[in-house]
Amino acid sequence: MRLRKQALQANLTGYLFILPQMAIFLLFLVYPIVEGIRLSLYQINYQNERFVGLDNYASLFSDPVFFKALLNTVVFVVCIVLLTVGFALFAASAVFDKNAKYVSFIRGSYYIPVMVSMVVMSMVWSFLLNPASGLISYLAREAGAGQVNVLGGGKTVMPVIIFVTFATNVGQTIILYIAAMIGVPKDLFEAAEVDGASRWQTIRHILIPSVQPSTVYISIINIIAVLKIFVVIQLLTGGGPNNGSVTLMYYLYNNAFKFNQLGTASAVGVIMFLITLLLSVPQLRSMLRQT
Amino acid sequence: MPHKTSKKREPYDLVSNVLVAFFAVLNLFPLYWLFTSSLKNSADVVKMPPDWFPATITFDNYIDVFRSQPALRWTFNSLFVSGVSTVLVIIVGAMAAYAFSKLAFKGRNIIFVVFISSLMIPKEIMIVPLFRIIQDFGMVNELSGMIWPNVATAFGVFLLKGFFDATPDALREASRIDGAGEWRTFAQIMLPIVKPGIGALFILNFVQVWNDYLWQMVVGQEKNMKTLMVGTATLMQDLNPNYAYKMAGATVAAIPMLIIFLLFQRYFTHGMTAGAVKE
Repeated sequence: MRLRKQALQANLTGYLFILPQMAIFLLFLVYPIVEGIRLSLYQINYQNERFVGLDNYASLFSDPVFFKALLNTVVFVVCIVLLTVGFALFAASAVFDKNAKYVSFIRGSYYIPVMVSMVVMSMVWSFLLNPASGLISYLAREAGAGQVNVLGGGKTVMPVIIFVTFATNVGQTIILYIAAMIGVPKDLFEAAEVDGASRWQTIRHILIPSVQPSTVYISIINIIAVLKIFVVIQLLTGGGPNNGSVTLMYYLYNNAFKFNQLGTASAVGVIMFLITLLLSVPQLRSMLRQT
Repeated sequence: MPHKTSKKREPYDLVSNVLVAFFAVLNLFPLYWLFTSSLKNSADVVKMPPDWFPATITFDNYIDVFRSQPALRWTFNSLFVSGVSTVLVIIVGAMAAYAFSKLAFKGRNIIFVVFISSLMIPKEIMIVPLFRIIQDFGMVNELSGMIWPNVATAFGVFLLKGFFDATPDALREASRIDGAGEWRTFAQIMLPIVKPGIGALFILNFVQVWNDYLWQMVVGQEKNMKTLMVGTATLMQDLNPNYAYKMAGATVAAIPMLIIFLLFQRYFTHGMTAGAVKE
C-alpha cells in the first residue's frame, strides 16, 4: 500500500517537472501541426472555412510555380549540402591537428559570417553583386565580361545563391567536423603512420570513415536548414527572375501572407513537414539508440 | 596526425592548408567591404574604380540610421526576444531534462522520444496555423508572440539531459537523505552542477533566436515592433538609395553578434559539440 502510494507520488513529481515544457510543446508545436493538416483540407476566406478535401493539393500539383519551387528547393538542397559537407571535410581535415591558435583562427574566420547572420550577409552580397555599383560587377567588367547582372539572369541566379548560402554557412559545419576529428583516437593515425600511409591516404581511409556518424548528423541538419531557405531569396532576388529562384518556403510565405491563400500555404507546409519527418528518421534512430 | 616528429611536411598538407587559410581570409572580405562601405559618403561608396580603403571617413550614415529608423528600439526588441526566449527555454528545459534523466515515472521514455522526434521540425513550415494561434491570443505585434513558439522546441531538453545524465546519482541521493524535497534537490544541488550545459544552451539559443527572421517578420508588422534583423532588412527596400546608409544599418545589425562571438567563442564549440557529435 505504502509502496503504491510512493510510486504514485513519484509519477506525479515527474509529471510536474515536465509539465511546463509539455504544455508549451503541445500548444505551439503539436497543435499547429494538427491544425496545419486540417487547414490544408479547407478553403479559407477570413472567418469562413469550407471543406474542400484534397483540392488544395490538387491545385498545387497543377501550378507550374509550385513545381519550379519544388525543383529549385531540391537543387538548392543537393548542391548546397554537397558543397558544404565536401568543403568542410576538406578544411577540417587540413587543420584539425595543427596548433590551437591556428585552428581557432580558421574556426573563427569561417564562423563569423554565420554569426552576423544571413540577413546581413545577404545585404552585403546584394551590394557586391549590384549590376551598376557593385564591386563584383565592376571587377567582372574590368575582366572583360561586359555588363553583368548575375542575379537577374535565369542561368546565373541559382549558382550565385548556392554560392552565397554555402559561403555564409559553411563555418558551422567546419566547427562540427573539427570537433569530431579531434575526438578520433590517436592510435589509429599512429598505426597508419607505421604502415607508411601518406596524409591523404590517412584522411581518406581513416579520418573520414571515423567521422561518419557526424557526417550523417551534419547532412541532415544542413538538408533541413536549406529546405527552409528564405532570407537570401527575399533579399537577393525576391524569387525572380521569372520565378527562377523561388523556393518552397518562399512560395509558402507568398501564398500565406501576400495572396491570402491559407489553405494552399498549409498544404505546402504539410508537404514540407512530411519531407522533414522522412529526412530525420535516420538521425532520430541514432539519437534514440544513445538514450 | 602522424607528424609531431617528422620534419618535412607533405605537399598535400601544405597545399590544403594554404587553400583553407586563403579562403578563410577571402570569406571575411564581404564583411570588410560592408564595414568600410558604411564609413564612406554616398558618392564614394559607388565610385568606380572603388576605394579599397575609405578616402574620407564619415559616421553620417550611422547617424542617419539612428535618426530615420527606430534602430535602438529594434535592438531592444531583439535583445528582449532573444533573452526572454532563452531564459524560458532554460527553465522549462532544465526541469524536463532533470525529470527525464533522474526521475522515474510512467511513460518517461515514450514522452522523451516524442520530444526528441520534434527536434528537426522547423516552426516556419507551420507558419499559417502558428500565426492564427498568435492572432487568437492577441499577440500579433507583440514581443510575446515572437517568444512563445521558440520555447516549444525540445532542444534545451535534449542538450541538458546529456549533462544531467553525467552527474553522479549519489549526489542526488545524499541530498534526498538530508531531507531536501525533489524541487530543492533540483534547484540547489543539481542545477549548479550542470552550469556548463546551461552556458552552452544560453549562447546557442540566444544566437539562434537573434538571427531568426521569418517568424519575427510575420509577427512584428508595425515599424516599432520589428526586431533588429527584420528592421535592418527593410533598409534594402528603403527609398534612400544610398548604399553606404544600407551598409551602416547592416553593420549595426552585425555588431552585437560579433561581440558575443568574440567574448564567448569557447562556449560555441563546446555547446554545439555537446549537442551534436557524441558518437
